[in-house]
Amino acid sequence: MDALDKAIDVQNLTVGYGSNVLLQNLNFSVNNGEIFVILGGSGCGKSSLLKNLFGLYQPLAGDVLIEGQNITTAQGTERQKIMTSFGVMYQQGALFGSMNLLDNVTLFMEEYTQLTRDQMNLLARCKLELVGLLPYETYMPSEISGGMQKRAAIARAMALDPKILFLDEPSAGLDPITSADLDSTILDLSKNLGFTFVIVSHELASIYSIADKVIMLDKDAKGIIAEGDPKVLRDSSKDPRVHQFFNRIMSKDAA
Amino acid sequence: MSISDPNSSNLISPVAVWSQVDASHAQVSLSGAVNVYSLAGVWSDVRKQQNQWLEQGSTQAHSLIFDASKVSSLDGSAFAFLIDMQEAQNKAGGQFDIQGLDPKYQPLLREFDPINKLFPVPTVKQKRSFVVSTGMAAQNLMDDARGLVTFTGHLSADLVWSIRNIRQVRWGDFVNAAVEAGIAALPIVGLVAFLIGVILSFQAAIGMEQFGAVSFVGPLAALGIVREMGPLITAILLAGRSSAAFAAEIGTMTVNSEVDALVTGGLSPIRFLVVPRVLAGILVAPILTLFADAVSIFSSMLTMQIYGIPFINFYNGMLAAVGIEDVLSGLVKATLFGVVVSAMGCLRGMQTGTGAAAVGISATRAVVSSIVMIVLVDGIFAYISYRTGF
Repeated sequence: MDALDKAIDVQNLTVGYGSNVLLQNLNFSVNNGEIFVILGGSGCGKSSLLKNLFGLYQPLAGDVLIEGQNITTAQGTERQKIMTSFGVMYQQGALFGSMNLLDNVTLFMEEYTQLTRDQMNLLARCKLELVGLLPYETYMPSEISGGMQKRAAIARAMALDPKILFLDEPSAGLDPITSADLDSTILDLSKNLGFTFVIVSHELASIYSIADKVIMLDKDAKGIIAEGDPKVLRDSSKDPRVHQFFNRIMSKDAA
Repeated sequence: MSISDPNSSNLISPVAVWSQVDASHAQVSLSGAVNVYSLAGVWSDVRKQQNQWLEQGSTQAHSLIFDASKVSSLDGSAFAFLIDMQEAQNKAGGQFDIQGLDPKYQPLLREFDPINKLFPVPTVKQKRSFVVSTGMAAQNLMDDARGLVTFTGHLSADLVWSIRNIRQVRWGDFVNAAVEAGIAALPIVGLVAFLIGVILSFQAAIGMEQFGAVSFVGPLAALGIVREMGPLITAILLAGRSSAAFAAEIGTMTVNSEVDALVTGGLSPIRFLVVPRVLAGILVAPILTLFADAVSIFSSMLTMQIYGIPFINFYNGMLAAVGIEDVLSGLVKATLFGVVVSAMGCLRGMQTGTGAAAVGISATRAVVSSIVMIVLVDGIFAYISYRTGF
């Protein structure tokens, strides 16, 4: 495995809706096996960027290459193949409300693999165990808490063991212990199975413990204002916006 | 590194090979990229061979070696495969050893300890006895009836309150609901009313013609339309359009805890959500009914033209048969239908459970209950008309 291989390569990407441009001319890449975190204040377009990365929305301009394949121009089966190479956890979980947790996880296996029902169930149980939800496999999504729904959604995103996982605010709304457990699971998957993670997050504690690399977006700059190791950015960034973010300084004190 | 092609990986040699050394020793060798695609089929084959081997000579210890030294990459499904084999060994009292597994995979494997929790004992759901299920159905029916009575009480109280505090009624919501249920429904009500008028008079004319009584079709159709068909088709269309819409709208608000937010904010959800919609129903249903009456009678007139009845004859015959009290009776009935249809929609919306499917169920229940209630109200009204002559 060539460690320098790029899992995701973003070229001149412009994100927005119609004439409303949120982010302009982004260029960055995510290496294989890396835990890559996207940061930024509310409303700066983090989630929109994420949706452009995994092809849910069409970017206004530019290209996104996933494992070398251009998802912005791919069509039909080619696009579907790219789609199965990654998993997505949405901010609200987005579990299928009419299925229990186990069935939520096995759904994509049924479509894409030839495993038997028992094998799929065992595999799904392993995924649920990784996120600590094994005892709840027969629960419906509406019967568990919001934090649990998020973890179940991560289990579902991992169903086909994709090499890339996109997580939209995985630790928001989780208690510190569960959040730390989730961080260690993410680290295990990344270091041991070579998963690549692209995570949108605000949790500074979590970012320091897991992120290999962060990019920080800004609403006014409409682009990346900082890039690199979060601890280095915290300690040595000269940019007041970055300094304020990483050190949790209140706006009135920063002025 | 690239993604292994799900299809091509099956064509190369299998990623797991079973080899039996002797009656008590066997080995599974993994090789290449072991993933959820390449394991398909292989998993079952190897497990089958393992089971056959375990069934032979149950007295001696079965020792299985899981050799992962030739693996190029593993994913979560490889762990599941390993765990499946290990569990089978454990159950049979055999030995299980892992060889050559890259130490980096060890922490993940430890996450699954102890593995027997991944194999829950299947619980058999006890079948409910006939008595129990009948009792539960009866209980549901009673709960439903109680809910309906409670809701009616709340709604009546809040309607009275609205009349006394006319300024505090949410007139904006009322206008929106009235426009959505009323003006937006004009085309469909007009179309259905027109066709009903045509069909009604045609059917009547076919029969009446045999007795030479075609001239009575006009009065008959007109009376039927203003007393029964006009209010009924309007109400059923309202049930299909607006009752379902109210249920879905309020149901979504219930799912999103918006109704809870009203309650915790000290606002009555019935006053806030239901009253404006029921008032809209009260306003809209008779107006739509009048419109439906007019369109139906007009289409009936056009139809009778084919049978050689001029407009004026139709008109005179209708005036002789249909009095103002017949029209009023139809409108009063329509108003009641309007109350019932909008209230049922709101009630089912407020009774919505959780999840996206619950909203759909609520909308369905709203339409079904509305139509049942329409028929019920119509029956009661018919009895009152019969006794009082109104």
